[in-house]
Amino acid sequence: MSQLAMVIDLSRCVGCHACAIACRAEWSVPVPYQRNWVKRMGPEATPKGMSFTFYPGLCNHCDDPKCTTVCPVDPEERVFKSRDGRKKKMAVRATFKDPFTGAVLIDKERCIGCGNCVEACPYGARYLNEELDDPKADKCTFCVERLAHGLEPACVRTCISGARIFGDLSDKNSQVYKLVSTKGALRLTSKEVNIGPNVYYIGKEKDLYLLKKTYAPHERKWENVKAPVRRRILQAAIKKLVKAV
Amino acid sequence: MKRRNFLKLSASACAALAALELGDRPVFKAAYAKARQAKTSLPGSLGAKETPSVCEMCFWRCPIVGKVKEGKLVKIEGNPKSPANGPRVCARGNSGVQLLYDPDRIKYPLKRTGARGEGKWARISWDEALDEVAHNLIKVKEKYGPHALAYFDHGASAEFMRDIFKTLGTENYTNEPAFYQCVGPAALAYLMTYGYITTGTRQYVDMKHAKAMLLIGTHIGENVHVSHVREFIEGLSNGAKLVVVDPRFSAAAAKADIYLPIRPGTDTALLLAWTNFIITEGLYDKDFVERNCSGFHELKKAVKDYTLNWAAPICDLPVTDMKRAILLLAKNSPNVSIHPGRHSTWYGRGDTSRHQALAILAALFGAVGVKGGLYFPTPVKKGHLSFGCAEEEPETPKKSLSEDYYPFASTFGSPTSKIIQATRTGKPYPVKLWGINGVNIIQTIPNPYQTMEAIKKLDFIFCEEILPTETAIWSDIVLPGATYLERYDTVYTYDLLTPYLTVRQPVVKPMFETKSSFWIARELAKRAGLKCFNYNNEVEFIEEELKGAGLTLKSLNEKGGIVTYKANPYRDPKKLKVATEEGKIMLSIEDFADEDLDPIPKFIPTPAPPKGYVRLVYGRSPVHTFTRTMNNKWLHNEAPENHLWLNDKVAKKAGIKDGEEVVLENQDGYRSWPIKVKVTPGIRPDTAFMPHGFGSRSKLLSKAYKQGASDQFMITEYEDDPFMGASSHRTNFIRIVKAGRVIDLPELCPPPKEIPRFSAKKTRTGGK
Repeated sequence: MSQLAMVIDLSRCVGCHACAIACRAEWSVPVPYQRNWVKRMGPEATPKGMSFTFYPGLCNHCDDPKCTTVCPVDPEERVFKSRDGRKKKMAVRATFKDPFTGAVLIDKERCIGCGNCVEACPYGARYLNEELDDPKADKCTFCVERLAHGLEPACVRTCISGARIFGDLSDKNSQVYKLVSTKGALRLTSKEVNIGPNVYYIGKEKDLYLLKKTYAPHERKWENVKAPVRRRILQAAIKKLVKAV
Repeated sequence: MKRRNFLKLSASACAALAALELGDRPVFKAAYAKARQAKTSLPGSLGAKETPSVCEMCFWRCPIVGKVKEGKLVKIEGNPKSPANGPRVCARGNSGVQLLYDPDRIKYPLKRTGARGEGKWARISWDEALDEVAHNLIKVKEKYGPHALAYFDHGASAEFMRDIFKTLGTENYTNEPAFYQCVGPAALAYLMTYGYITTGTRQYVDMKHAKAMLLIGTHIGENVHVSHVREFIEGLSNGAKLVVVDPRFSAAAAKADIYLPIRPGTDTALLLAWTNFIITEGLYDKDFVERNCSGFHELKKAVKDYTLNWAAPICDLPVTDMKRAILLLAKNSPNVSIHPGRHSTWYGRGDTSRHQALAILAALFGAVGVKGGLYFPTPVKKGHLSFGCAEEEPETPKKSLSEDYYPFASTFGSPTSKIIQATRTGKPYPVKLWGINGVNIIQTIPNPYQTMEAIKKLDFIFCEEILPTETAIWSDIVLPGATYLERYDTVYTYDLLTPYLTVRQPVVKPMFETKSSFWIARELAKRAGLKCFNYNNEVEFIEEELKGAGLTLKSLNEKGGIVTYKANPYRDPKKLKVATEEGKIMLSIEDFADEDLDPIPKFIPTPAPPKGYVRLVYGRSPVHTFTRTMNNKWLHNEAPENHLWLNDKVAKKAGIKDGEEVVLENQDGYRSWPIKVKVTPGIRPDTAFMPHGFGSRSKLLSKAYKQGASDQFMITEYEDDPFMGASSHRTNFIRIVKAGRVIDLPELCPPPKEIPRFSAKKTRTGGK
C-alpha cells in the first residue's frame, strides 16, 4: 500500500508563511480557520544552541488516525480505486484513510458537522467550517485533487525555499523515502501520542529539539471525545436548523 | 554628482552583450490552452483562466499568473516559466487577492471635507478631482515658482506621474523614501566604488555559488524577496558557511555558522579591523587588488590603527570570534558573498562609509565578477520610450534642496528631510504642494510629527492611493488607483543571474471607479496643459517597448508572458574593467575627498543609549511589506500585530514578563500605542527590536488600525547622511511604561569610552 508523506526541511524553511496562504487561496479556507499553518518559535536557548525556527504544520495523515474512529456516521461500503486501476471495497465512516494513498479524507456529502473529529485530532489539524450553511469538518487532503491533475500540493508548489518535499513513502526511489530512511527525520510524537504521523521534519538539531519540545502533542484528545453520539448528532441538526432560521 | 552624469555612468555600466533568447518551450502554451478550455467546476483553483503578469506586493516584482474563475480572481501563483521564482510566490504574493478585494479600498475620487488627517471625505467625480489637482499644480507653480512642487514617489504607480512634476520644472520631482529612508547610502557607496548600483532595487551578489557569506544586519528570510531567498538557501544547502553580524538573532542568524551579536552602530569598526587584519596578514588577493583596484596604499595606511583588539570592546565581541569569522571568509575567497546590504539608513553619519567598507572588503577578497561574489548585471534589451515629457533635468534654484546641502544627494533626487524642512520653515524656499504616489510617507519618514506639521502648512496635497492610509487621510484630494492586478504598467526586465523580460497586464478589470496610474497621469497632464504622454493607452507603449525586444504583446503572451535570456554575470579578473572613471575599483574615493568627505571609511561612533534607555531597532515581518499589507485579510491573520523584542535578562531585572502589554516612551518623551513584549535571549541587552509597519493610525483601515505599535512614531531624532542626505532611523532610544509607571531599563553592557552617550543637542531634530 502507498502512503503519501511530506518531509519539511527546517534548515531551508525561512518562515515566510507562503504555504499557509497558498493553501487558503487554493481551497478557499475562511479566516481564521486553517488547513496549513506556520508557527514561530524562539529565539530560545536549547541544549544544542540558540534556535529561532518554525513549525510549518498540516494534517499528518497518520498511520493510525484517531479522528476517523470517533466519527459517528454509520459506515458505508465504498469502492476505492488506485491510480493504476486496482480496486478495494471497504466500509468507511464520513472520514477515513484512503487505502491507496494513505490520505485521511472527509466525505463532505456524509459529514454531519458534529465536530467529533475536530476535537479528536491531537495536532489540531481539523476545523469545523461554521461559515457554511451546513457546517462540515475540513482539513488538509494532501491536495489529492491536484495530484489527480498531475500537480503538486499547493503548499509544496509555492514553497519559496524548496523546504517541502512530497511523495510516496512506499516508493523506495522517492525523495521522501530517502530522506526519512537516511536523514533521521523527526515525527512529532510523544510517549502518549504515537499514531504514526506522515509529516516528517529534518534540519539542525537545535531546531528539531525546539520543535519537538514545543509542539509534540501529549494529550490523547480522541479519548476525551466522550459525548454520546446521539447528542452530537442532535446538536449538529439543531445547529443546522438555527442557521436555516 | 548630477543625475545626468549618474545616468551616463549606469549606461556605460550596462554595456550589454546581445541577449540570447532561449528556445521557446511549447509546454506552457499547451497547459495554458488546456486550462482555458477546462470547465470551472474543477475543485480549488484548477481549471482557472490564467493571465501572466507581475507582482507588486513588494518591489522585487516576481512574475506571476493570476487565476480567474467566473470573473473572480481566486489565486495567484508564480509564473511557472519564470527562471527566478518559477511557480512560487511568497505569502504577500499569494495574498494579492485580498488587496484586490479589500472592502476598505478607496473606490471613488474623494475630496476632503474635515480637517487634514481627520479622514472625512466627499465623493466627487473624476473630472472634478483631476481638474482640482491640475488647477492647484498650475496655481502653486505660478505663485511660488516650480520648486514649490514636491513629489514623493515609490513603485510602479508613481512612475508616470513623476514626469508631470519633472515637466512642470521642479527640482523636487522625485523624493523617494526608497532611497532616503532605505537603500541610498549603500547604493551610493557601491556606485562610487564599482561604477554600478550593486545594491539598489536589487542586490548583485551570487549567494547561490558562494562558499561563504557575510551578512551585516541583513536578515534574509524576514526580508522576503523570492529569488534572493532561494539563492541564499541554495548556497547554504550547497555547503556555504555563513557569518551573520546583527545585534538580534534573526532568521538568518539562526542559520549561521558564526553569529556575532555586535553592539549597534559599531559595524564599521569591525569591518575596518577586518580590513586591516587581512592586509597585515596578507590574506587579501594581491593580484586582483594590484590589477583592478585603485587606492590600496591609501587604504592600507588609513586602516592601520584599526586592530581586532581595538575593535573588541567597541563592538562588544571577543577577538577570537571576530578572527574566526574573517579567517572563514578569507579561506573561502574569492568565492565569498560579502552581501552589500539594502536598507542602510541607520545612523546618519557613517552609513555611506559602512557600505563603502563592505564594498572594499569584497574587492580585497577579489570577490567581484567571480562565482559566489558580487557580479555584474545582464541588461535585457527593450524599446526606448519617449513620452514627450521633459527629458532635461529641471533648472536648479539658487539654493538647491538637494546638491547644495549634500554633494551626492541629487544622484537620487531631493532628500525627504529637506523637503519637509523647507515646507515647515519656508527656507531656503517655500514648498507649497505635495503629490504623493505609492508611499505612506507618515509611516515611512522619520519624525512623523514634523511630517504632519509640514502638511498643515501646504496649500495643497493630493495622492494616488489604493487604501485609506495615513497619507490618504491627510490629503485634500485622493485619486483611487487601480491595483497592479487591474492595470497595465510597463515592460519589466530582470538583470540578475536569470535574466528575463515580462510585462504587467490586468488580471481582472478595475473595480469600482479606480483607474490605472497611466490613465491618471495622462489625464492630469492634459488638464495642466502639459505636452506629455503621447500614447493613448498602455498597450500602445508596451508594444513599442516590446518591439525593441523583437516581440509583440501577443507573441509574448503566447510564450507564457515571459522570455528568458542568458546571463553574463562573471568577468575574467585579468580583463576586468568597471564603470568608474578610472575603470578600476575605487578603494579610496577622490570624489568624496573633493567634497571634504572621507575618501576612505573612518569609524565614527553613533551615540550610545542614555541611561535607562535601550536603542530601538526595527526590521520586517516576513508576511508584510512596509505599512502596505497590514490591512490584508490573509496577511493580517498570519501576523496581526508586532511585538517588542526585549532581552531576557533586562526584562527580568525590570520586572517585565513575556506577552505583557506595555507602552514605549522615547528619548523625546513620545509614547507609543500598546505593544506586547517578546522576552528572548535573542537580542542584546542594549537593544530592543520591533517589526516595522504596524500600529496604523488610520481608522479607515478596519483591520490594521491600532494593531500593535508603530516604530516610525518612536523615531523622532534623526541625522542626515552627510554624503547624500538620507535620514537615520536607528538613533532613537526607548524605555518602558507599564500600567502608567515609567520603567528605566538596566544597562547590562555599558559603552566603552570611545563611544559617547546620547545627549539632547540644540539643533536636534526631535523634540515636541
